[in-house]
Amino acid sequence: MSDAAETARSTREGGGAPTAECTIVLVGRPNSGKSSIYNRLTGGNARVGNYPGITVDVLEGEVTLPSGARAKIADLPGLYSVEAAVADDTDEGVARGFLERLRERTKDEAGAPARFVVVQVIDPTRLALGLRLTRELARAKLPLIVALTHKDILASEGRAVDVTRLGDEIGVPVVLVCARDDDAKPALLAAVDDRLRDLDPPPPHAGFDPAAVARHVVHDVSTSDATKRSRLFTERLDAVLLHPVIGPFLFVGIMALVFAAVFLVADPVSGAFDTLLGLARGGLDRLLGKGLVASFLADGVLAGAGTVLAFMPQIVILTIALELLEASGYLARGAFLVDRLLRLLGLSGRSFLPLLMGHACAIPAISATRVVRDPRERLTAILVLPLMTCAARLPTYALVLAAFFSGRSALFRACLFVGLYFSGIFAALVASFVLRRTATRGKSLPLVLEMPSYRLPQPSVVVRTALGAARRFLRDVGTTIVIASAVLWTLLTIPMPGVDRDPGAPEIESSVAATVGRAIEPVTRPAGFDWRINVGLFGSFGARELMVATMGVVYGVEDAEDEPAPLAEKLREAKRPDGTPLYGARTGLALLAFFVLACQCMSTVAAIRRETSSWRWPAFVLAYTYALGYAAAVAVYQIGGLLGVG
Amino acid sequence: MVAEAESPIDTSGAPSSLATAAAGSRLRIVAVRLEAGATDWLAAVGLHEGEEVVVLRRAALGGPLHVRTSSGGEFAVARELAEHLEVAPASETGS
Repeated sequence: MSDAAETARSTREGGGAPTAECTIVLVGRPNSGKSSIYNRLTGGNARVGNYPGITVDVLEGEVTLPSGARAKIADLPGLYSVEAAVADDTDEGVARGFLERLRERTKDEAGAPARFVVVQVIDPTRLALGLRLTRELARAKLPLIVALTHKDILASEGRAVDVTRLGDEIGVPVVLVCARDDDAKPALLAAVDDRLRDLDPPPPHAGFDPAAVARHVVHDVSTSDATKRSRLFTERLDAVLLHPVIGPFLFVGIMALVFAAVFLVADPVSGAFDTLLGLARGGLDRLLGKGLVASFLADGVLAGAGTVLAFMPQIVILTIALELLEASGYLARGAFLVDRLLRLLGLSGRSFLPLLMGHACAIPAISATRVVRDPRERLTAILVLPLMTCAARLPTYALVLAAFFSGRSALFRACLFVGLYFSGIFAALVASFVLRRTATRGKSLPLVLEMPSYRLPQPSVVVRTALGAARRFLRDVGTTIVIASAVLWTLLTIPMPGVDRDPGAPEIESSVAATVGRAIEPVTRPAGFDWRINVGLFGSFGARELMVATMGVVYGVEDAEDEPAPLAEKLREAKRPDGTPLYGARTGLALLAFFVLACQCMSTVAAIRRETSSWRWPAFVLAYTYALGYAAAVAVYQIGGLLGVG
Repeated sequence: MVAEAESPIDTSGAPSSLATAAAGSRLRIVAVRLEAGATDWLAAVGLHEGEEVVVLRRAALGGPLHVRTSSGGEFAVARELAEHLEVAPASETGS
């Protein structure tokens, strides 16, 4: 964890002050352009969003000041106020806690040179709003610089800011920059250097009227047709995108397009990864032969890595798509459009972004719930996110569809697939409705969401975001999957002590996993699951995407996760001793019902633990999703039997 | 409960709720009927007593209002929250 993130965390936990010798802290309202400035200063990894509260974590980088001194830069989540009460574990609370530690430090070392500078980034097209926070920061006596960004947009709208007068009226140094320009970095760092060197700066004015100051310093310098068009751009686009009738249809169309594009683009990339992994397995076979070690590395570790790589492209591409929507300003419009629907279920438009992200992977989505200001709503969003159809469910869906429904038409299978997707959304919304009336009931503050102007996303930032998503996924989820895969290999390979195996029966039948799978058959039989499926469910307890590979091991099919067709055939042809089919369509439906609902992802559980600072809620999620999954599987299997489904 | 959608604001100058304001209305917030903490935060966001707002549009089916403030901000405000913002026509209260 970075120092800055450590500080934010320790602040929430009542820990110590920041330890860096010299720190530049970037603060600002959500969507002020703060993260763009951070990226310009550090070339670093912060995301730029055009959606309130996009910088979920405190990001940190390092720069060299013109004086030669090194400085750490911390990019705080967006905040509106340092005076109004907010919950500690929200974006605003994290930023507030960080600043409070800095303020404490100022008190401790009164008279000593400031070792940190707070740079407040303000969007000058909304200057009066930004200056409200400036006034609070001035009252808090923090060493302050104001950086006005979006200089280019201001110019395109035919406006100019009198920077000198603004500095005089608020008593704070002011720099006007454009984050896209190379000169933004030297200009800003020079101002920071000056502020750090100034041992006795005059106190900032804390009693100014933000609206009056804004009126005094922002002037129209052009009224050409081009500037009029620029000013009206957002308004004209909103007239279409937020139209009460056309808007919702466009929204559904855009979302459908995004998800379709994700799968179309991700498929060939996943294929390329499969080829690479096949080459690696071949090399491993040639190098180590067919021993136990080679099997562990190839079927345990490498198989886990293959599972990770197989669906990572979907996550990265969906992240890029969301980033483009966010940075353009459209996601806030999406929140506006769906707020009413989410209110019915006890959430608000603010929960829209995390719920959407949950379709890629629940882990970043759980972090993204920090944009939700209301603690009850945030907790509800966290608790229902594991029900969203994340990318990791898809390999299992594909296998079950191929195994049990290959005789049906492509249209039937497509409809079933879409149905599964929407089942996840439906289940999450129903769960939210119930939770808001039980476990998380209570009054919440309804939606207030700033609607940013439409902006053109910066390609370099989008690329960095994609790389960051890939890195986070490999770190947070990939390691869990590889470890789970290795543990699973052990359980499937090591024989259970005291269990005898029929001569000629596959070795796996005497393994630890198979023995336990058999032991719980009485519980799972009402859902149509035999010991083999139970082993698959064990395998997917840590990471649901391991289901396919595990079933491959059970049925002795190599590389089932890459090529599931032979495994699907084996499942179709599996017979009971009396010759009747072992599994039918209703087994497939029951398995799908279980996978839609059960939280088979230890990384998600860990993320919930991290965000709620308690084991109570991750335990609750495991309990309710598994109970729901089991109940739904039993219901589907039994009702299927009554209806005569095979 | 939300008052009838799209009903025009009372032009007599008497305060009424922002939730009842029609699209295109230019109004001034005259009171925020919320607990102190929420009122302070809302003020920091940009919606406070004395602020002038224009209702740009109302979302369908009782969804949020899209408003622009005289400070230059644009906000989606849930109808339930708008009910707690008392407004009067901007011309009646001076602007």
